[in-house]
Amino acid sequence: MNEGGLGPTAREITQARLATLGMLVAGIAHELNTPLGALNSNHHVIERALLKLGEILEDEVVTPDELDEVRRVVRATESVLRTNGIAVERMVNLVRNLRNFGRPTTSEPRPVDLHEGIEGTLALLGHELKEIEVVRDFGELPLVVCHPNRINQVFMNLVHNAAQAMHDGGVLTIRTRAEGDHARVRVADTGRGIPRDVIEEIFEPGFTTKGERIGMGLGLAITLQIVHQHGGEISVESEPGRGTTFDVDLPLRPPTGPARKEASE
Amino acid sequence: MDEITPDAGTVMVVDDEDMVVDAIQGFLELETDHLVLPFTSPRAALEHLESEPVHAIVADLMMPDLDGVQFLSRARSMRPEATRILLTGYADKENAILAINEAGLYQYLEKPWDNDVLAFAIRNGVERSLLFRELTERMAELEAANDELAGLRQRWIQAFL
Repeated sequence: MNEGGLGPTAREITQARLATLGMLVAGIAHELNTPLGALNSNHHVIERALLKLGEILEDEVVTPDELDEVRRVVRATESVLRTNGIAVERMVNLVRNLRNFGRPTTSEPRPVDLHEGIEGTLALLGHELKEIEVVRDFGELPLVVCHPNRINQVFMNLVHNAAQAMHDGGVLTIRTRAEGDHARVRVADTGRGIPRDVIEEIFEPGFTTKGERIGMGLGLAITLQIVHQHGGEISVESEPGRGTTFDVDLPLRPPTGPARKEASE
Repeated sequence: MDEITPDAGTVMVVDDEDMVVDAIQGFLELETDHLVLPFTSPRAALEHLESEPVHAIVADLMMPDLDGVQFLSRARSMRPEATRILLTGYADKENAILAINEAGLYQYLEKPWDNDVLAFAIRNGVERSLLFRELTERMAELEAANDELAGLRQRWIQAFL
């Protein structure tokens, strides 16, 4: 157990990382499944279409009836190939969005486009956001020096919590602004909100609301810790029944560490 | 010939993802004699069911607005004879099992699906629907015959009293 309220323990941090990893894997599997299902089905259709055409051409005589069949098969194959193009594009975009998530933790922070991480998060949690309208209110943001995979864990926790709070649909607004020497990312939902008597506790390790999945109770404690490690701040405002807004402020450059080092791609 | 065989029959395909509907439609049209009705909106599909019967319905589980179980439950009350097949994502197995009872599922298939398994399920589903319809008709005939018999019996009894 965590004593003295000093933030999450090492074990709890590991648990939270595993929970995020679980979400990540579930998201990837889910998002790939649809285009993969289409490609898999269409692959067989094309295979059999070619087989059919081969059979017709085998005797080197094409009757008018066979010609009609050839036309039909070619038309169907063309349509199936168009769908494949869309499916492949969807998968390419998903992988592109995942670039930051896939990177292992590096010891040194690097300049990062936060919008890329936000888009990756939204792409991965797409299955949780099906009934939710997502508004991207993105401002001009300079690159922020940070650990991208850890900051993405922050976005993932906040977006996941927002989705969980809006089971019956709602609006998720992600607003980004550069304000002086820091970047502010606001994640606002129109969900059920956090009761006033517990809002002080939500960043405590182990805090959870009923019905949350095991492991998610650590989400906000870890979120707070990651933001603090980057020299940033996080604040919350919530109105029960109306929604919750989280503001994450990150310094464009962390106060300590090799802030001047530019990452080479 | 007007008689529908299990290899033909009307199949409704409902998924909010265009590419899934397109893929299944493409496959069924090329490989089978089914008439395919594609829908990306479950509500539009329900509207269609109101006016036209179908033999089998293939629906996705995760859809915004109306999920597959809700959709198939409503379809069941409107067209009980239409066989219901649920298509589910990789991790929805538990929900799919719940749906077997709730929506009176005939079968559920996991994505990515196998075309041969899907075609087999649809073919058997259409056959089941045709049998269901025939059974309903026979039941009605039986009931009518029963009524007639009861009337006859009554007249006989009266004739002898």
